[in-house]
Amino acid sequence: MFDSLREFGGAFAGLLTPWGIFNAFWATFLGIVIGALPGLTATMGVALMTTLTFTMPHEQAILVLVCIYVGAIYGGSRSAILLNIPGTPASACSTLDGFPLAKQGLAGRAMGISTSGSWLGTLFGILCVAALTPVLSDVALRFQSFEFFWIAVFGIVIAGTLSGGDPIKGYMAGFLGLFIATIGQEPHYNYQRFAFGSTDLAGGIGLLPALVGAFGVAEVLQSMRGPAARAISNKIDSVIPRIGDVLRHRWTILRSGAIGTFIGILPGLGEDTAAWSSYAAARRASKEKEKYGKGSVEGLIAAETGESACVPGALIPVLTLAVPGSAPAAVLMAAMMIHNINPGPNLMLQTPQFFYQIVAMLVIADMVKLFFGLTLVRPLLWILLVPRERLMPVVFVLCTVGAFAITSRVFDIYVMLFFGFLGFVLREFKFPMAPLILGLVLGELLEKNLTRGLVLSGGDLAPFFTRPISAVIAFVTIASILWSVPAFSNRAAALFRRRPKVAAGSAP
Amino acid sequence: MSEPNAPSLMPHEEPLSPRADLGVAAAFLAFSLTIVALALRMPRFAEQGGEIYTAPGLVPAFYGVILAALSLWLGYRSLQRGALKGVQARAAADPGNSTTRLAIAAALGVLFVVGLVGKMPFWLAVTVFVTLFIVIFEWEPGLPTGLRVRRIATAVIQALITGLLVTLVFQKIFLVRLP
Repeated sequence: MFDSLREFGGAFAGLLTPWGIFNAFWATFLGIVIGALPGLTATMGVALMTTLTFTMPHEQAILVLVCIYVGAIYGGSRSAILLNIPGTPASACSTLDGFPLAKQGLAGRAMGISTSGSWLGTLFGILCVAALTPVLSDVALRFQSFEFFWIAVFGIVIAGTLSGGDPIKGYMAGFLGLFIATIGQEPHYNYQRFAFGSTDLAGGIGLLPALVGAFGVAEVLQSMRGPAARAISNKIDSVIPRIGDVLRHRWTILRSGAIGTFIGILPGLGEDTAAWSSYAAARRASKEKEKYGKGSVEGLIAAETGESACVPGALIPVLTLAVPGSAPAAVLMAAMMIHNINPGPNLMLQTPQFFYQIVAMLVIADMVKLFFGLTLVRPLLWILLVPRERLMPVVFVLCTVGAFAITSRVFDIYVMLFFGFLGFVLREFKFPMAPLILGLVLGELLEKNLTRGLVLSGGDLAPFFTRPISAVIAFVTIASILWSVPAFSNRAAALFRRRPKVAAGSAP
Repeated sequence: MSEPNAPSLMPHEEPLSPRADLGVAAAFLAFSLTIVALALRMPRFAEQGGEIYTAPGLVPAFYGVILAALSLWLGYRSLQRGALKGVQARAAADPGNSTTRLAIAAALGVLFVVGLVGKMPFWLAVTVFVTLFIVIFEWEPGLPTGLRVRRIATAVIQALITGLLVTLVFQKIFLVRLP
């Protein structure tokens, strides 16, 4: 207990240097701006800054990325409230009640609610990270190749099933990502797969150029195609959160925090699912259901708490299993690997101090977010008013720099452009992006553990299904797939449906 | 009550028409079969003691087969939903969306990546790209000459500042190499 507190103290002391504080402030601010601007997302922000901070010491680079992530998820609510356009997909739910509140002249109150909900949500999630990560790491240490194979497949399947789109397309996106990860030299014989004689392709598809393309370039295209957004008003009432709002909705905050963190722990789902799930649960439990969608304080606080609690939650599987809980967490995981930190079960054994640092980084980011949430209202409004015609070319330039930065290959810029177009087209055809990203990230883990498992078992598939933990994960994975087959899920639901009671002696 | 076969979309999302889904399924099926065919042509390295489960083509073939199965599932479902039945009502296009703006943005992106980057100093490539982007998208026919000149001038200034600032910040502060 005291050892842990001492480690936390040491992590804070190491990060709260003048340089660290400076980085936390500018990165959180930049994150909020990225989140607030429609067309720029947390994933894109983290991907872009990963490539641009890789020369920094690892603590500072990861601090910057955590601050960007936390800030961007919060910042999305600003445009949701003021423009009725979610700054990030995670904030789509906040438009339902945030914008009606702004139309009633309560934009400041809505932003105050969003700030307090987001701050408390992240804080709740941080407590869960601190409490659950060491326990889950111990469990994960028992995993072998067979279990890791199923964890990777489970990640793809659960992201496909629940990431908000058509499950079939979710699975297709996930397996497309896994296929893309096979391009280049394979690990056993260094055979060049799908390279067609190109030395660039033989080097493989860089994860970050692909991500910068799929999120950055695709969003530039999406933004330029759509209608221009205009802020509802430049008059804003007080943004100081009301204690009464928080106390009155304390159970909603706790429930949404728990839902958001849980959704974060599930691989690949992310903040938008967390926000919608928290909102739906709050509405079900509410005594004022009729206010939802018309400016409900409870609805807004539920959505904001849920999405912000998801951020730390999404880092729990990164730290324990090397499986990301959301798309931005996938990029953050890639950034950790670039900085020679190996997320996964061995993290707590090899670099336990990094776990304490991550918790400290989340706390710092949450506090700085609260500070900016209360103080930077008007500058953020000005930023929201920057016309996209002036903003998007700059974003495109930053994407290009970001794609090139890590390996200095011009080929990576072409990869970025290709994935920008691919991401745009896939979204047009309603393919969710989270499973694609998860596939790209988990491709190596899945292939390595599948072949290692087969080598260990001499080609026998039985251990993948008969080892106890493997069997459980395999069962849950297969059940998730079957659940998305309507014929199966309808029959299963019918089995559990309560039959109407017929009172004894009553007429038939 | 929601339709039992409808995909579980988020409340803010719209499903795609069955016919479009059928087209997507066909394209993915062709793509996945190509993956399988290419994967099966990869060597097994049996002469180096390689087993079937260490063959380089095994994992891509596995993905290809699953993608093909999923494509068939998507195609079957779209047929069940009436993808081939008569003339289908097309989903109403978002009135604010513009294909022209999309095509211009895409073309400018390609021009920047293929035609400008690496062909001249990066700050100059950025300046040219940003200026073109702003001027084209802010172009309004019939604008008074004075206002047009002012808009172009501010575009050039913003582009120049962007080019120089990006070069300075990333090369000097983040120590990142630029293309």
